[in-house]
Amino acid sequence: MNKWVLKGLKTGIKTTLYPDKEERSLGISPGLPRGKQTTGDKTQVVSRCPTQALKYTGEMISVDYTRCIHCFRCLRGINNPVDWDKGYEWALSINEIDDLSRKFGKAFGHSLHIRFVDGGACGACISEIEQINKPYYNIHRLGFFITPTPREADVLLVAGPVTDHMRLPIKKVYDAMPEPKRVIAIGTCAISGGIFGPSFASEAGISNLIPADVVVPGCPPPPLSIIHGLLLLVSRKPSASLTSPRSTEGRKTL
Amino acid sequence: MEEPTNKTIKLINLPETIAFHWHSKVRVSLYPEKFLCLMECNTDVLVEVCNWLFSELGYRFASLVVEDQPQKWLLRYIFYGAEGEGQVHILCQLSKAEKIIPSISNLVHAADWQEREAEDLFGLVFEGHPRLGDFILHEEWPEGINPMRTEFDSLKPYIHREIDPEWKPARIVQTPGAFMMPIGPIYSDFAESAHFLLETVGEDVIRTIPRLFYKYRGIEKIAEKKSVEHVILLAERFSGTSAFAHSLAFCQAVEDIAGVEVPERAKSLRILMAELERFRHHIKAIAGICASTAMVVPTSQLSILEEELLRLSCALTGHRYLFGLNIPGGLSIDFDNDKLKNLATTINEVLKKLNELKEMLCFSSSFLDRLEEVGTISRERAVSYGLVGPVARASGMIRDLRKVLPYSGYEKIDFIVPCEQEGDGYARLRVLFSEAEQSAQIINQVAFSLPSGPVVSPVFSIVHGSSLGWVEAPCGAAFHWVKLDEGDRIDRYRITTPSFTNWHGFHLAAEDFAFQDFPIIMATFCLSNAECDR
Amino acid sequence: MINPSNFLIIFLILCSLGVVLSLFLPDRRNPLFLAWISSIASISILLSSGNVLLYGLPFQIELWTLPFLGTLILKMDCLSALFVFITGLVFLPVSIFSAGYMKKYLGRYNLRTFSVFYHLLFASIVILLIANDIFSFLLAWEIMSILSYLLVNYEHEKDENTSSGYLMLAMSEAGTIMAAFAFLLLANGSGSLDFASLKSASARLGDSNRWAIFLLSFLGFSVKAGLVPNNIWLPKAHPAAPSNVSALLSGVILNLGIYGILRVNADILPVTQVGLGLLTLFVGTVSALFGILYATIRKDMKEMLAHSSIENMGIITAGIGAGFVFMASGYFVLAGIAFIAALYHMTNHSIYKALLFLGAGAVDSSVGDRNMDHLGGLMKVMPWTGLFFLIGSLSIAALPPFNGFVSEWLTLQTMLQSAALPSKAVKIVFVLCGAALALTAALAVTCFVKAFAMSFLGIARTKQAEKAVELRRSMIIPMGMLAVSCLLFGILPTYVIPVLDHTISPLIHESIVDELVPPFFTVVKGDPKFSDSFISEFHDLGAQTGRDILPGRGLVVLHRGTERNPVVFAMSTSYTVIMLALLLCGTFILIRVLTKSRTVTKGPVWDGGVRRLLPEMTYTATGFSNPIRVIFDAIFRPTTLDERKETIAEHFRTAINNERSEVHIVDRSVFQPIVKWIQSMATLFGRMHSGSVNVYATYVLISLVIVFIIQMLL
Repeated sequence: MNKWVLKGLKTGIKTTLYPDKEERSLGISPGLPRGKQTTGDKTQVVSRCPTQALKYTGEMISVDYTRCIHCFRCLRGINNPVDWDKGYEWALSINEIDDLSRKFGKAFGHSLHIRFVDGGACGACISEIEQINKPYYNIHRLGFFITPTPREADVLLVAGPVTDHMRLPIKKVYDAMPEPKRVIAIGTCAISGGIFGPSFASEAGISNLIPADVVVPGCPPPPLSIIHGLLLLVSRKPSASLTSPRSTEGRKTL
Repeated sequence: MEEPTNKTIKLINLPETIAFHWHSKVRVSLYPEKFLCLMECNTDVLVEVCNWLFSELGYRFASLVVEDQPQKWLLRYIFYGAEGEGQVHILCQLSKAEKIIPSISNLVHAADWQEREAEDLFGLVFEGHPRLGDFILHEEWPEGINPMRTEFDSLKPYIHREIDPEWKPARIVQTPGAFMMPIGPIYSDFAESAHFLLETVGEDVIRTIPRLFYKYRGIEKIAEKKSVEHVILLAERFSGTSAFAHSLAFCQAVEDIAGVEVPERAKSLRILMAELERFRHHIKAIAGICASTAMVVPTSQLSILEEELLRLSCALTGHRYLFGLNIPGGLSIDFDNDKLKNLATTINEVLKKLNELKEMLCFSSSFLDRLEEVGTISRERAVSYGLVGPVARASGMIRDLRKVLPYSGYEKIDFIVPCEQEGDGYARLRVLFSEAEQSAQIINQVAFSLPSGPVVSPVFSIVHGSSLGWVEAPCGAAFHWVKLDEGDRIDRYRITTPSFTNWHGFHLAAEDFAFQDFPIIMATFCLSNAECDR
Repeated sequence: MINPSNFLIIFLILCSLGVVLSLFLPDRRNPLFLAWISSIASISILLSSGNVLLYGLPFQIELWTLPFLGTLILKMDCLSALFVFITGLVFLPVSIFSAGYMKKYLGRYNLRTFSVFYHLLFASIVILLIANDIFSFLLAWEIMSILSYLLVNYEHEKDENTSSGYLMLAMSEAGTIMAAFAFLLLANGSGSLDFASLKSASARLGDSNRWAIFLLSFLGFSVKAGLVPNNIWLPKAHPAAPSNVSALLSGVILNLGIYGILRVNADILPVTQVGLGLLTLFVGTVSALFGILYATIRKDMKEMLAHSSIENMGIITAGIGAGFVFMASGYFVLAGIAFIAALYHMTNHSIYKALLFLGAGAVDSSVGDRNMDHLGGLMKVMPWTGLFFLIGSLSIAALPPFNGFVSEWLTLQTMLQSAALPSKAVKIVFVLCGAALALTAALAVTCFVKAFAMSFLGIARTKQAEKAVELRRSMIIPMGMLAVSCLLFGILPTYVIPVLDHTISPLIHESIVDELVPPFFTVVKGDPKFSDSFISEFHDLGAQTGRDILPGRGLVVLHRGTERNPVVFAMSTSYTVIMLALLLCGTFILIRVLTKSRTVTKGPVWDGGVRRLLPEMTYTATGFSNPIRVIFDAIFRPTTLDERKETIAEHFRTAINNERSEVHIVDRSVFQPIVKWIQSMATLFGRMHSGSVNVYATYVLISLVIVFIIQMLL
């Protein structure tokens, strides 16, 4: 027994200090394209995007985060690549942050129970979500816990374009959660269907089925983004909502 | 025609053997440069030919590709052999009006699920198969509509069928007092969605019927009529943890159709990336096994190693799961040789820590108690179900595609394929450790002897044609059949994944064991539902 | 005030009236008539025996004098009074229940005969219990045996019922013969046949006689009591009988065996050898263990309850055995505690077993199926039946504050008291038996959790269970009466124990009320038994608070050990129930106040997202009890009836079946070898019947020759 204790002590603490300090290690996030003002050729860049996440109006190339899948085609091998944002705080809330009816109470700020549901996700999103419970990210120190039963859950994390066969189970899970409850859509697939939906076998995200409160774009979103989404949900981080018009910077748009 | 090497010697002799046995009932053509032997036959000899290939010549069943062509049905049964035996495709045609074809599952059992899938998605009837229906499409799918038919519009949502109030799942155990324990589709902390009915009379699990395809996204259907550029994204992302491997198989198929030669540097880098992915996948699988036995410290330690590898992948390639690297003709970006050498050094450090953990785990008797002699699959069963990957290798059945059908320059790499005989959970664990070590060793070999040159072949045009691309994914052998039409769009895309093949054999391991062993057996199989369900 | 003998006579008149009138009334009206007459008869007998019990004044009636057989005497002393009281207590609700229950036999079987048998049985049981000489005892015993056979075999058109009935009758007769031999041996030494002269003559009996009498009477009466190895008729008889008869069988008739054992071995010929007491203790423990093991794995509700009756009889016998050992070693106070524990358990068992059997009968008549694997979800459709069955299950599982807890506690306490005995070997036996009894208590909880949960909770497993309806009031009220009795006997032990003390003090010549229910919670200064300082200490400790409102002698049952072992054991179910009530009500009120503003939503049970949660996906009774089956495999030794593994093409498994059945261990180890031996002997002798006349002539010749030789020798 003590060999394991010694092993753990020898390895030391690996946990990130986020959200108290920004995490700057290499390789924590694939990053997202950042829109820019440019006079160069825009049509090639915009047409490269397979999910129509890039648009241009006038001189401005803008990026719709909720559609980006990190294929890097707007970055590699073209004349006028977009700028790249290597951050990870991408989560957005659907409603205005001051919308009191959808704001979680103070009690949940440091004590939140999470139920994860796989609505057809490829293994990458699930792997990233599993990482938030592991030593590098460790959500327990933030007061967040994973629970296997929806009866004790406050927030439902859904990943994957909701496949047709998972509609009934996800509806049941949502109904089984007691009020107050919130939903976070993880990954581009859960927001807009990604490259899979809409089709005969999958929806274009979960919003057709259950109302999402926070979305975390990415394919897959790195664990720090997921944590950012959780912190945003309980108002420990300031949020930028989808409904607020901020397209002048070309960062986020409806 | 190529000079017959020892890799193809048995394949070269195959047409003679076939002609000797089957005379004129079967038409044979040989393509040694693709390690391919093509046989065409009618439905009346189909079952015997397949059985002969399987039981007499020792070929393994890989995939069944059904094509819905305007005038006819075209069925392609793909078999692959041991070293030097290449692959054998059996083609069979049916006229459009006919829909009945004899089933080969009674003799070649590995074809069981492939035939059920074809029945569900195409509407073909496999005569003699005892259990058709309710496989990929669950009860709410309307009768008589088959999504893979050409006339089905993939964007149209369908109307759910009213489910019979008397509907009950099928029951095998009929002892009085037996009951079914339902698990899922939503269960545990992070489990992928799948449904199990464990039939029991109170102590041991007598029969377990996994019910998958809750994550069926219809990849094969939505890929049709799309460009290669788009479909490579699908190939990459339907299973994120083996993304590089599947995109590699797809690219190889496209490269083969276009007749493009991939540069040497690209081949070596592909090997390096594929082995990096395998290394990471196996560490994750071992972490999963430790988590299922509730050993928290090794789980955490292995997760630390996994995250280090993910960060390493991202720092090197830009994406944690190696998305966006493979393109037909090579890779999308080049790497600095020094960076790759640093990568190899870091991998060695990770391997050292992994070996330390392996030593500690192998002396942990409470851990071994849960794994030894639990979830055993015998070699005969593994062969008859056609299992692949680490699971098969733990049962003494080696058929690693890197050795058997070498691709992307693996024939030049020196490595061994580990094998164990017991077939229990501990054997699978040992295979995972050994394979991880071999992957690290391959990375070292490649990183320090990387050829120079371009990483992508010069621009080429996509032509129409069809070909098979294969890869030894972390979970086992994967086969991608790609057919391009005149407009350079995908006409038919068929993916056979190792998880699909291995899920078929899962119930062999989980039967006649206690309930508590069930999650552990599932963890030792390291299966991915996303890969299986597509 | 109440003259008990008058009420006895009223009772006998009512029974005869019942017999006569039921022959004249039509079938339709018979059940109601039966209910009325036998209820009134039960009440009168309750009054009669209650009077004797409370005031401790036995009465005697002398009947006719028969030549060569002496006077027939009926005497109700406290021991008989206790048993008669229990009889009345069980007959009353069962009679009321029969009014509604017997309606299901209307048209199929003759209800008049049922009524006749019922009243005759009641009368014969009471007469048997108050008979005070051998002739009337044996006569009443035989009548009771035959009548109980007739009632058990009431549905005589089913073959299995007939064979079960025959087995019961045959074993009963065998037991009666053995008991009769014991009585004969007793009567050998004395002049007349009445119990009083037998008792005075018994003091002169020698050791070998004592052993013989004990063994014969014990084995003989153990058939009726259902102890190992004579218990194999019981699990077959109970499912065969109609449920109200089963309640009588378990609640009243099994007690008669205990009565016989006590009457012969504690009253007439008190046990003086420790070995006999140990034998009783051992047989009781083994019966308890086997009984509950088989009960846990049975699916048929009534078979399970039958095995559970064997278990409880075993516990009672173990208590009696402990009492015998203490009596033989001279520790009369401890013997008294043991007897009180055993008799208390017997009372409790009658009450809760009758309740459970009535519940099983209710389920049977409402659903039509007794197999617990086919029931489920009955609580929603039969709430009252479920509630009363739950109370019965809690009582039999010995959970406070119900009556089972008190008697189980007292029984296990007496096992601990063996520390006072001098002999080490005896103490070891006590310890082992005590451990076995503790195991049976745990298994009893398992068994009745299974019984209640599988039948009443969850979702209905078959269509029949879905369509069940609640019973009419006349069938629910008797169950309620018994449930209330369970509670009362549980929370008022301080009233019951003094009454039981009246019963056993003639046997051990000591009164032990003060030992178990000491008066120092209510005694005042100046009482001669306790010094003033002692009383004031108690007063200062606060133990006498509420003295004026504490009923009886306080609410605590306790006993102190000896000087060598001065440990105090105390228990109070009354305080338990008061505390439970306060805590539950308090918590309930607190939660209501705190969560006034919260809304409550109700939804279906979380099932993991399956499309439909079917009854096949819920635990079955077989599944629940399978671990016990596996652990005790050496005792059960199941044999496989049918094992099938159907496959197609060796890969597709389509059906798996593995049916097993068990042969009872007593059958396997005791009766089957005996039967085999008898059969082999018979085959051996059968060879003599070769069929040839010449051989038979030779036999005649040989026997003649032998007779001549003997004659000549003598």
